[in-house]
Amino acid sequence: MNRRAFLMTATALPFSLGFASIAGAGGALALLLPPWGTLPKEMTDLYTKDTGGLLNIETLGWDEIHTKIATSMVAKKAPATGTELDWSWVGQFGAAGWYDDLTALVPPDVLKDMPTAAIFTYDGKLIGVPYNNDFRVMIYNKAHLDAAGAKVPVTMDELLTAARAVKAKGVAAYPIGLPLSASEGAATAWYLLTKAFGGDLFDKDFKPLFTTPDSAGFKAMQFEVDALKEGLIDPASTGLKDNEVQELFKAGKITFDLAGQAGILAVYTDATKSTVAADAHAALVPNVTGKSRSFGLPEAIGVPVSAENKDQIATYLAWMLKPEIMAANYKTLGVLPTRLSVLAALGKDGSLKDGEILAAQSAVAEPLFAQGTPGWYSEFSGAVQTALNAAAKGQIDVATAMKQIADAAAAAQQ
Amino acid sequence: MTFDMPKWSRRSKGFRLNKDGRLGLILALPVVLIMGGLVFGPLISSLIDSFFRIDPMKAGTPFVGLKNYVTSVTDPAVVAAWATTGVYVVLTVAIETVGGLAAALLLNRITLGRRWLLAAVVLPWCLPPVVNAIIWAWIFNPSYGLLNGLVRAVGLAQENHVWFNDRATGLVLISVVHAWRMMPLTVIILLAALQSIPKELYEASRLDGATAVQRLRQITLPLIAPGLAIALSQSTVFAINLFDEAWILNGTATDTRSITIQTYIAGFQNLKLSLGMAMSLLVMVASLAVSLVYVLRVYRETRFE
Amino acid sequence: MTLRATKRLFVNAALTLGAAVLLLWSLGPIYWSLVASLTAPNALVSDNLHLWPVAPTLEHYAKLFGATSTSQGNEVQSVWPQFSRALVNSVVTAALATVVTVAIAAIGAWAFVRLTFPGRDVLFVAVVATLAVPGFTVLIPLYRLMIAAGLIDTYIGVTLIYVSAFLPLALWLMRSVYQAMPLSLEEAAWIDGASKFYTLLRIVLPLAGPGLVACAILTFLSAWGQFMIPLIFSPSLATKPLTVLIPEFVTRNYVDYGLMNAAGIVAIVPPVILVLFLNRFLVQGLMAGASK
Repeated sequence: MNRRAFLMTATALPFSLGFASIAGAGGALALLLPPWGTLPKEMTDLYTKDTGGLLNIETLGWDEIHTKIATSMVAKKAPATGTELDWSWVGQFGAAGWYDDLTALVPPDVLKDMPTAAIFTYDGKLIGVPYNNDFRVMIYNKAHLDAAGAKVPVTMDELLTAARAVKAKGVAAYPIGLPLSASEGAATAWYLLTKAFGGDLFDKDFKPLFTTPDSAGFKAMQFEVDALKEGLIDPASTGLKDNEVQELFKAGKITFDLAGQAGILAVYTDATKSTVAADAHAALVPNVTGKSRSFGLPEAIGVPVSAENKDQIATYLAWMLKPEIMAANYKTLGVLPTRLSVLAALGKDGSLKDGEILAAQSAVAEPLFAQGTPGWYSEFSGAVQTALNAAAKGQIDVATAMKQIADAAAAAQQ
Repeated sequence: MTFDMPKWSRRSKGFRLNKDGRLGLILALPVVLIMGGLVFGPLISSLIDSFFRIDPMKAGTPFVGLKNYVTSVTDPAVVAAWATTGVYVVLTVAIETVGGLAAALLLNRITLGRRWLLAAVVLPWCLPPVVNAIIWAWIFNPSYGLLNGLVRAVGLAQENHVWFNDRATGLVLISVVHAWRMMPLTVIILLAALQSIPKELYEASRLDGATAVQRLRQITLPLIAPGLAIALSQSTVFAINLFDEAWILNGTATDTRSITIQTYIAGFQNLKLSLGMAMSLLVMVASLAVSLVYVLRVYRETRFE
Repeated sequence: MTLRATKRLFVNAALTLGAAVLLLWSLGPIYWSLVASLTAPNALVSDNLHLWPVAPTLEHYAKLFGATSTSQGNEVQSVWPQFSRALVNSVVTAALATVVTVAIAAIGAWAFVRLTFPGRDVLFVAVVATLAVPGFTVLIPLYRLMIAAGLIDTYIGVTLIYVSAFLPLALWLMRSVYQAMPLSLEEAAWIDGASKFYTLLRIVLPLAGPGLVACAILTFLSAWGQFMIPLIFSPSLATKPLTVLIPEFVTRNYVDYGLMNAAGIVAIVPPVILVLFLNRFLVQGLMAGASK
């Protein structure tokens, strides 16, 4: 075969492969989901059995999904037919007009059953169907506490005492699990701790409330930095995201998943997935005022305006909202159902682990921004992550970190 | 048929287009179209747009003059990124040049199996940079990585060290990974230069009683100076554009952010497109300036041809 | 043993040691990754250091190519559709970029060397100078240009960008190849009445074969390893290459080191094959480019 013919065949071959592949991929519903939203095979098979449709789930880390959606939508190309839509993106993506109004796809009685749908309403349009009713609660390892002779902490000081006892007795080298890498999970944990220390991030005019040393936000970050320095938090946490901290808990390496996702308890108590199944329990987030506080971070599925295969997404959403599917998702993925009726049913039949604690915590879980998430949240959160990461590594002190965050918030609001 | 002087040897002044000139323009047309449309055009567009505020998340594109450039040189995060990039340049160029020269000298001496040794040396450069970074990230893993394993096995430390907690260590490790990937290029360039040195010079020098070190300094280094200049220039430009290694190994953490990562964050995460353009133009000016310095010095120093 | 023989032995030993260090430095990390990709999951997260696979297993590769995969400890759909699609995309985009770049460079560089036309030297210097321009500077306006032209996430769009990125080096290389070819060959053909273009196609190009192959290899390797460009211009699986898919594996499979390393090894197989079998051309090409 002479060279030219060889080159021709060599270039033709990938094309034919490519075309074959394009022909084969058509017809499946493309979804873009974070790791905890990715349906296991039994669920995707169930979907095919129930509806006859195929699912093509692309899993991406949560932080990467935001950038992916933004860069794709600026180019007017939908990254998938159904994407993750986080509560914190509603302001930004709603203002940009990137998501379809899904009001028609959700029956009114189901809508009433999902109070979190209000968070995903922008300008009167429902731009996301909530699937994860996440709020934060403290999850601890009872066996560790018993071995150290410590009791379940209710205040932040008691938390430190318990952690020190666990470390001193050698039960766990680094009892407190908190993500400290430059990722959203780290920022979320800091928000929670700010609430735990009795304060808020911004006042009603979005002016920062965390810049002075006696403010809750300042104390919260100081708490994290000090605990890290004292050896209560793993030094490798500066490179860990929140789901990596969850892996540490599952392996029995940490005692407290301090900013634990409410639904993840289902996974922690599943003996096939976690080695501490018998010992994982939830408790109210410690506080300093006597009243526990938490906040909600629900997630939804949204449909980008320029997406294809929109006929299939209606089928998927309807299937996803079915009570038995929501219950199954809770059991396999630890995703807390967004329909109150499903939550109540799970509590009644005992499948909802520590249901009373979750109910109590949920009652005091407020939205992080009472006025609705602002469009500049992502930029602000990015500044929080990097400042927290730098402070944790000891490169800047907490006062400098607070100032950086405040400056970034001001710049983002312009 | 008379044999005319080949047309290309005559300097055709003015706009007189002969047959060859026409053919040349036609053949060069694809080059002009592609480079013009996809490089020069966008460069100019970048320059113009950098004087406006272009942000898809905000309405309108008002003229802001030099504001983006001022931000690029005063914003603390950007300045820190410049400083970090400076560190990368110094470290990577040092490792690549010293290591590359040593490897090139070695390869020049070895004759048995040189082809396979060369293939092995070139391999790191041929792999996708992100895959390299992932491989090294695994080596640097605090709990299960090779580096910690070796350090503990040798007895240098008892506990696992978190390498990227410390800024200095982080910068050095990222530089090492980048240098590991780029060193083959320096090796090839220097090897080519070494092989063009006539052997007689070494013979004569040895007969004169010069030691190996003296031969290196008096013959080798001066004669490979042009190659060294090209290698240094390439290393520097690639180091200024360092992205993949820092991104995969340490993400968006501020202590190891290179200027290209900062540009990516400004442009594609925060969607401040015109700020990103201003910053990247400044990076281009820096790269061109460096290349120009090297090229000028080389042309001034070697009057060989 | 004479002093000279001892000295030679010493020198040989030093050279061998140097070669060993060089091999270890260049190939060590790749070997380590290979070991990790073949090690069973429990052995991966142990505290002991092993320099060879402790409990060799192919399960990580099975998860890549097989009917199912894992995420978060759950068995999920196979990633093979995504992985295979990304593999095809890598091959197609790299091949397209190579063919177009080499074609344009082969013909264009010849024009720069053998023909005179207005602006020839200025154009060549300008084109080669773009080697110093960081990809970033043109990325954002290119992004907007491609959006306007509707070429985001298409093979054509990505190929055009690759060609504009790799053309300068290809031109430089082919130019030095042509400059090294004696003019007499072409002159003989011209005297016989052949047109210059015909000579280029029938005589020059076949002779420049090795140079063309070297150029093609360099371009293919550069395109195969691209990350930044497809990260932005290939957002979906329609054109997403392996280099973008694999870091995504990292973000989702943070503790599945075996799977990560297996994916990495698969991505480096084509470059390794190229280097193993075609390294003669590759090195020739690099050195030709380096010496001018």
